[in-house]
Amino acid sequence: MLKTLIRRELLDNLMTFRFAAAVFIMLLLVVANTAVLIKDHERRLESYNTALKNYHENTQERKTYTSMPLDVARPPNPLSIFNVGLDKRLGNEIWIFHGLVPTLWDARMHGITNPLLKLFASIDIVFIFEVVLSLMALIFAYDALAGERERGTLRLVLTHPVSRGQILLAKYISAMICLLVPLLISLILAVILLTTSTSISLSAGDFFRIGGIILSSVAYLSVFYLVGMLISAATRRTGTALMLAMFVWGFWVLVYPNVILATIASPDTSQASAESAKNQIQQIWEELDRERKKFLANDAVPGGSPRFGIRIESGFNYYEYPIIDSSVLKHTLVSGANILKLHSESEPMVPHAQNYYRYLGPQIIDAAERTWLIRKPALETIFVQPARLDRILLRFSPVGIYDAATQAWAGTDLSGLKDFFTAARKHRRVMIDFYYDKKAFGSRQWFAADKGAVEWESLPQFSFQRSSTQTNAARALPDLLLLLMMNIFLFMFIFLIFIRSEV
Amino acid sequence: MIWHITKRELYDNLISLRFALATFLLFGLMLTNAVVYLREHPERMQKYHDDVTEAQNELSTRTHLYDIAVHGPGSLYKKPSVLQFCAEGGDVFLSDRVFGGFLHWQDGNLTGFWSTLYHYPNPDSKNIRPDTIKVDWGFVIGYVLSLIAILFTFDSISGDREHGTLRLTLANAIPRHTVLIGKFLGALVSISVPFTLAVLANLLIISTSSAVQLSTDAWSRLAIIFCIAILYLCLFLALGLLVSSLVQRNAASLVILLLTWVVFVVFMPSTLAPITSGFSKPMGHYEYTQRRSKLHEQLKSEYEARVQNMDAFPSKKMELAGEFVMNDVAQRINLGQEYVSQQHAQIQLMRSVTRISPVAIVQHLFESFAGSGFERHRHFVENVQRYAREYREFVMDMDRSDPDSPHIIGVREGMSQKPVNPESIPIFEDRLSLSHDFNAAAIDLFLLVLFLVVLLSGAYLAFVRIDV
Repeated sequence: MLKTLIRRELLDNLMTFRFAAAVFIMLLLVVANTAVLIKDHERRLESYNTALKNYHENTQERKTYTSMPLDVARPPNPLSIFNVGLDKRLGNEIWIFHGLVPTLWDARMHGITNPLLKLFASIDIVFIFEVVLSLMALIFAYDALAGERERGTLRLVLTHPVSRGQILLAKYISAMICLLVPLLISLILAVILLTTSTSISLSAGDFFRIGGIILSSVAYLSVFYLVGMLISAATRRTGTALMLAMFVWGFWVLVYPNVILATIASPDTSQASAESAKNQIQQIWEELDRERKKFLANDAVPGGSPRFGIRIESGFNYYEYPIIDSSVLKHTLVSGANILKLHSESEPMVPHAQNYYRYLGPQIIDAAERTWLIRKPALETIFVQPARLDRILLRFSPVGIYDAATQAWAGTDLSGLKDFFTAARKHRRVMIDFYYDKKAFGSRQWFAADKGAVEWESLPQFSFQRSSTQTNAARALPDLLLLLMMNIFLFMFIFLIFIRSEV
Repeated sequence: MIWHITKRELYDNLISLRFALATFLLFGLMLTNAVVYLREHPERMQKYHDDVTEAQNELSTRTHLYDIAVHGPGSLYKKPSVLQFCAEGGDVFLSDRVFGGFLHWQDGNLTGFWSTLYHYPNPDSKNIRPDTIKVDWGFVIGYVLSLIAILFTFDSISGDREHGTLRLTLANAIPRHTVLIGKFLGALVSISVPFTLAVLANLLIISTSSAVQLSTDAWSRLAIIFCIAILYLCLFLALGLLVSSLVQRNAASLVILLLTWVVFVVFMPSTLAPITSGFSKPMGHYEYTQRRSKLHEQLKSEYEARVQNMDAFPSKKMELAGEFVMNDVAQRINLGQEYVSQQHAQIQLMRSVTRISPVAIVQHLFESFAGSGFERHRHFVENVQRYAREYREFVMDMDRSDPDSPHIIGVREGMSQKPVNPESIPIFEDRLSLSHDFNAAAIDLFLLVLFLVVLLSGAYLAFVRIDV
């Protein structure tokens, strides 16, 4: 019996104009946007490769330990085509330096052609699904029960020995099959387009992640279909059902996410904690500065300057200055030189400089570690907690849950991006070990390359692997479960209403 | 007769569910807008005033002409518009200032003169909060009001036809266009009443607050913005009537309208813009800085070659140094202008292509009348460039008016040594004028009216020729 019902519903739905329109629009939007997104991704990939090439060239020129900053870059995530999340927005280039524990807020952006391009919102495939699929689901659902009731066909069906639950199930299954057609076709086309691009290579794990995105999409679609059905079951007339459905859509998709984030203000407590953290960090570096000056004063060379009166014939000068950005609690001291040839009279001064850097290097590392201990929780309260609150509030709309789930699958959510910065921090440790290994801090190469340059080859290369599929799945699971729970609750609710309603 | 039909439509609409929901939605959004604006705007103004005062204080500490020329007026700030609640215009992504600065050269005692540097800070790259659309009038009208217009008109003719009431109406001696206009007016009045009330509530909250003062100029701008909103509403009503009279059934009419709406309003601007962006390749920031330092190196080596055996002629040497500094600053200014104008040209092209979408037109119009967004930013940059010229001319004039000066600008010893009255230094004042905005908005306004006329006549033709 269920089969007959499903077949009837399926034929009813497939022959409609709305089905044809749904398929057409979905294909049009997804194909056009995928093409644009692939182009954009290729551009980003190119800029990433240029950056890598630049770093490599810099390595050739880096003669002393402190002659040039060492940067690492974050590769663009190919799955950002599905949900861009924070992938394009946050910095993709970071400086690895022993005196600063790198965080997300210290990253810079390479490959920006026009900063004003941000004026135009960029869309991704999940955004298309968010808007169009939900609308489609509601259009399919609003007259599912109210329409049959209005036409009297529901009464006719119920004269047969079928249970009401079966009718509901049949309607649900057939409509979902119909809605899955445009979803799957457009996704398959998008994946085909992706594979035709030579610069984008998808691994097996990526296909698994895309599978996760599809799963979340189906769950999302089903939530909206069930919402439509609930409205349809609860109202007498199709006209009313339609209006309610449209306004629910407008509210959840269009209004709620934007309004809720506009109305909540950032809490004032973060201001206070930022202030106290800033002071503590400042104290650390002031202390370092005092110690440093004391060391210089105790040195035999008069003047107390870290230059020790060394004269340079070629290469660039000594530098020593702090880098401070109080908005992100960044504070460090850079110091070094790139001397290619010394003036012969300055030779006796070199051991003094070596002593100074032997002393200063570990001091700076220690100060950086202590800064990080203060900075980490402070940044957490100032930046991460408000963002987390926003995301919790957004989850009151299925759109927010769906967005979070697909971001987690694609690895473009906050935790996915934090992985890169964790890797950068790890690379900093590797570099510090390399320094200690080579006894870099007391060495002549720290600031001068006249007696042999540094062998950078023995420093391990930085490599960043996106998190494993299991991690992605674990991060997406709570949101996916939330969507599934919503489905179950909605279905139970519809069932209860439908069972007790008069036909 | 038109009035009768309008009245009937109006009564039908007023007691309907959609009217209640639309009213609720519009009021909610407009109140949110007002509350958020009142929270954010005073902070914004405070920041602007603080920045400007600080810059001016610093400017007035200098009395030596050479210092005035080298340090310049620092960074220049964009005045936030009081009407930012109408159109936010992506001001988060547009810089609120043009950076200006001077360059310390490592060699010798020369310093590069002040010039604008056009480096945009990227505040967004530190922002990890989810991105959303700002709830401004542009959003409420562009997205929500247009959706409401569609939901009010999709069944106005096809519904009547389905119920058979259309035949009944036309059986009376009423010309068809009267019916159409009646229905149009009915829908227009029933949406614009709650919309106007919501707008008034919004303005009431904003204008009674002590933190914001709306001038008469601002009120006239608001009136224009309101008229544009009504025009835009008419556009979507006409679209609704057109589709509704072409299609036999309500459901089909709604599906077509919603899909058209989704494509034109939600997707069109953001799909077309990136496609167009590929047509032009502006100089990137990296390339800009590379070229800047390359040009500087070139000038410097030329200068060094010429100055090499000049130690015997100090005055000649000074002249060469002055020439070097002036050439350098001129070069930097030219390059900077090229850099900025290439960026602006790309955005301009993208904006003109997105004009296919009515929501983009309306957003552009709102931005130009509210004094925010890209056009305003471009205007601001032009203001800055004009001011920078004035400032340099002021330095020249001051030097010229001093008979004791050797008139070698660019070197400390070559310039006037007379103290300069800080009050005579020109001060940057950022302002916007209504006439300028009218010019910028003319094309958009024309396009909007054109769309409306086409859709209205389309609706008329479709309705006149259908079988009932």
